[in-house]
Amino acid sequence: MAESPSSPIKSSIAAALRETVSPPPPPAASPAAPSAAPAGSAPSSAPPQSELCTIKLDGREVQAKKGANLLEVCLAHGVDVSYFCYHPGLSSPAVCRQCLVEVVGQPKLVPACFTPIADKMEVNTATPRVLTIRRQMLEFTLVNHPVDCPICDKAGECTLQKQYQDWDHVGSRSSIPKVHKPKMQDLGPHIVLDSERCILCTRCIRVCDEVAGQKQLTMAWRGDREQLTVAPGHQLDNPYSLNTVDVCPVGALTSKDFRFTMRAWELFTTSSVCPGCATGCNVEVHHAQGEIWRLVPRENLQVNKYWMCDEGRFAYKDVRHKRLTSARIGAGRGQPAQITSVDKAVAFAAERLERLVSSGGTIGLVYSAQTTNEALFALSQVAAKLTARGASVRAYVSGAAPRPERADNILRSADVNPNTAGAKLLAGVGAGDAKALLADLTAGKLKGLWMVGTDLPLGEQAEFEIAPLADGLELLICQAVHDSPLLRRAHVQLPAAAWAEVDGTFTNAKHMVQRLRKAVAPQGDARAHLELVTQIAKKANLAQNEKWQVSARQAFLQMVAEVASTLPPGADPAQSVAAGFAAADWGKEFLPVQLRFANSRG
Amino acid sequence: MSTTTQSKTGPRKLAFGMPTPDEIAAGGIPGLSARPKLPVDLMDKLNASELEEVEDIELPTEPMQINMGPSHPATHGTVRIVLTIDGETVRDSDVQVGYLHRCFEKEAEYATYTQVFPYTDRLNYVSPLLNNVGFALAVEKLLGIGAAIPERAQYIRVIVGEISRITDHLTCLGASAMEVGGFTPFLWMIKIREWLWELLEELTGARLTHSYVRVGGVSQDLTEDFIARLRATLNRSLEPLAECEKLLVKNRIFRDRMDGVGTMSAEDAIAMGWTGPCLRSTGVPYDVRKDHPYLVYDRFEFDVPVGSVGDNYDRFAVRLEEIRQSMRILEQAMQQIPPGPVLLDEPRICMPPKNAVYNTIESMIGHFKLIVDGIKVPPGEVYSYTEGGNGELGFYIVSDGSGRPYRCHVRSPSFIITQSMSKLILGAGIADIIPTFGMINMIGGECDR
Ligand code: SF4
Ligand code: SF4
Ligand code: FES
Repeated sequence: MAESPSSPIKSSIAAALRETVSPPPPPAASPAAPSAAPAGSAPSSAPPQSELCTIKLDGREVQAKKGANLLEVCLAHGVDVSYFCYHPGLSSPAVCRQCLVEVVGQPKLVPACFTPIADKMEVNTATPRVLTIRRQMLEFTLVNHPVDCPICDKAGECTLQKQYQDWDHVGSRSSIPKVHKPKMQDLGPHIVLDSERCILCTRCIRVCDEVAGQKQLTMAWRGDREQLTVAPGHQLDNPYSLNTVDVCPVGALTSKDFRFTMRAWELFTTSSVCPGCATGCNVEVHHAQGEIWRLVPRENLQVNKYWMCDEGRFAYKDVRHKRLTSARIGAGRGQPAQITSVDKAVAFAAERLERLVSSGGTIGLVYSAQTTNEALFALSQVAAKLTARGASVRAYVSGAAPRPERADNILRSADVNPNTAGAKLLAGVGAGDAKALLADLTAGKLKGLWMVGTDLPLGEQAEFEIAPLADGLELLICQAVHDSPLLRRAHVQLPAAAWAEVDGTFTNAKHMVQRLRKAVAPQGDARAHLELVTQIAKKANLAQNEKWQVSARQAFLQMVAEVASTLPPGADPAQSVAAGFAAADWGKEFLPVQLRFANSRG
Repeated sequence: MSTTTQSKTGPRKLAFGMPTPDEIAAGGIPGLSARPKLPVDLMDKLNASELEEVEDIELPTEPMQINMGPSHPATHGTVRIVLTIDGETVRDSDVQVGYLHRCFEKEAEYATYTQVFPYTDRLNYVSPLLNNVGFALAVEKLLGIGAAIPERAQYIRVIVGEISRITDHLTCLGASAMEVGGFTPFLWMIKIREWLWELLEELTGARLTHSYVRVGGVSQDLTEDFIARLRATLNRSLEPLAECEKLLVKNRIFRDRMDGVGTMSAEDAIAMGWTGPCLRSTGVPYDVRKDHPYLVYDRFEFDVPVGSVGDNYDRFAVRLEEIRQSMRILEQAMQQIPPGPVLLDEPRICMPPKNAVYNTIESMIGHFKLIVDGIKVPPGEVYSYTEGGNGELGFYIVSDGSGRPYRCHVRSPSFIITQSMSKLILGAGIADIIPTFGMINMIGGECDR
């Protein structure tokens, strides 16, 4: 169509339609907007004037850094040149030839992704010659492509589909049979390959080489028989393997966990943070019909760049399975508890708590590192109120046991709790750890225990064995996401909402306070930890209408203000957790965007 | 009678002292002569306007408020009229619309442009194709492809549109006749409407909610014998239509109910934003098809009938004549329609043929992208207007460049005309509300959009 400027109407459509594909998505609709990065550390200062050069891009003068990647300059100025093999997080091999543009003075078209810019360069990206080549490259790519879209997991977010519709959009001219290649090849524990759909861009190979550092994939054969393969006797099993599925521009690599479960365009996306470890990779939660279907990494150059580990992707399963969905109250000591409403359980907990306070005796408060800062801040406020009433209070920070074997220098950390830094700060300097908690329980030093999150650094079996320690307590209140042996021995068992069901923040190992957004409704009767603490405090007459009791956002604001007041102004977030808190920002609220309209993938 | 056993036991009373058949046969029904006589011999008076001169039957009255609707058997359309009446006279009224609200405009923001068509079917649901066409033209205007639409598609749009106009007017006229007591014209007109709808059903697959028009053309070509069958159907309709006309136009009762009732002046009609047959009944010859021709309307000869008084009868007569003019347009369109494609050949706007979709990856992707992402319409805003069944049907669309409207507003003629209802019935009798409301032809789906 674009080659036929003879028809004024048609070329006006071309111009009109091209307009619509170039501008970047509006920020409000972009789920990829990194939003919870700490303020102050982000802006990269503009390069000095001497390093800048001016090029002419489609007749427009633009300035950029000398030697910058031409494709990146084009994208930064809203010029879409179409590409497959380039990826901002990977090296550029220039193998797909989809990004060819014209540089005045050069006889051949050059791949934009492999061309550093120089002063006074004149670049044309939309001349008839460039557009024809662009279309011919797509035609080439599609010659042997199977008619698979209806059964392809990538459909709806497929880059090949997008480029075809934007730049080719004419029917097939080929009548020879397609070359067939193996379909449904098992590459490893998480991934299936369909070689027919592969467009040989090598992005997946580079992810393994450059991100995971394990050379597991390679190309074999030549010409139209060329195909991706793993080395004989090996598997695609590195801990970052599922990133290959994300970078694959087509549906060649599919995740065994996700394939055939949900159509991509029906998913809604909510940005959040992975609860898998102390790194806090930024993720998009993809959900529909009140269920989470997958997690994919969200770009944040300061934390996880474009990646996340395979284990983190499965963090959503914990939201679905083994949940505590209703409140129970009972006599403790492992005797059967009785299911009741959350309100009744809260009232029961408050009444017993008040009785305990008036009778004297030490009350332990457990700050779980799996819980949001806001809930823990609320607990610290309650601790202050209890102390003011003359109760003796001991704080403990608990969480899941570290797993040193998973630590690497890429993303994965040994600490598998997402909020250790936050929990430690909010519990206060005198707080004990899980070991201290067990020691105090064994010694019978505690009369009551209130656990906001029942996570302990013990396996299930070990937890089962220590659970009877809790029998010496007069009151055990447990707010928990999942069922556990310890929970079963509690007097009050309250169902808490999981990470994807609440608004709040986690503080990662780099002291960055990052925002979680509520993607789905809590299961069963579950309520946010913050809400449960708020209500118990209200019922027990500890705090009535304080700011932190209003909403997660108010709790966050109060928390940040209080932490910041202890610091000298301008503290460096890298130096202390508190400074990280002081620099935190709650970010904007936006409605979940349906992927088909999010314009973000494919 | 003397031979029956009944005569021995005496005649059996039916109810409330009504005469039995026996009594009637025997003549001399007791009691009737005892009823009070009216002061003036009404039978000498010839029409209703003279009746009003009879002043000596004044009864003491006081204003009272009553509800007419929202669910009233004699109003076609769900509307609530809160009346303040003094005896039989309407002293004040509050016309409340909104009982059929289905969020057309909001729904459109969550649907791709193609997915909006089924919603437009449900605006004015007695002429869905006119709405289809109106919406398609608006999107095409925004895309800048108006002139590129294949000629055959433009003719088909005119043909199905004019058929819809006829069915719209038939519904309005038939129902209104029925509401003032003429049941036969209703049955006959609905019969004609059914013939036409059968034709449309054969063409589009649906009797009422056609969703037949597409951005860039229409979804499929006319069926093989469509033209022949349309011609036959129109010929066949002429006779019952003429009969209906005879039954109504010279009908004393009908005329008394329509003449001089619900009068509107041309100035007021314009001031209130009236369009369509209602505006034309006041004598203003404004018709979008003539004044701002779209599609191929400039290629047809047809007249724009206007009234002189602006009363219910004029609105009736204008619609009746418009049915004839639509038939005239149809006849010319059937003669002129050229062969050719019915959908624009532009893969980023129109679906590729199914055969190609199933067999080549290129068309498969094109199909997929159009369904999932929708037609990418360049950012901008547009107001596009056509002659709908009830007047100027306008679509105002704002696009942000995505596959669905950022905002979609309908200027629905019914909504604007209905705002004058209170004015029309002020001072009229309660019974006058029905024909007036009928002739305004409020269509709930369109009014409440
Ligand atoms: S990779 Fe893309 S184009 Fe190919 S079958 Fe899958 S969705 Fe269709
Ligand atoms: S499998 Fe995907 S990412 Fe890997 S080379 Fe093929 S198309 Fe590229
Ligand atoms: S993106 Fe430049 S060659 Fe592939």
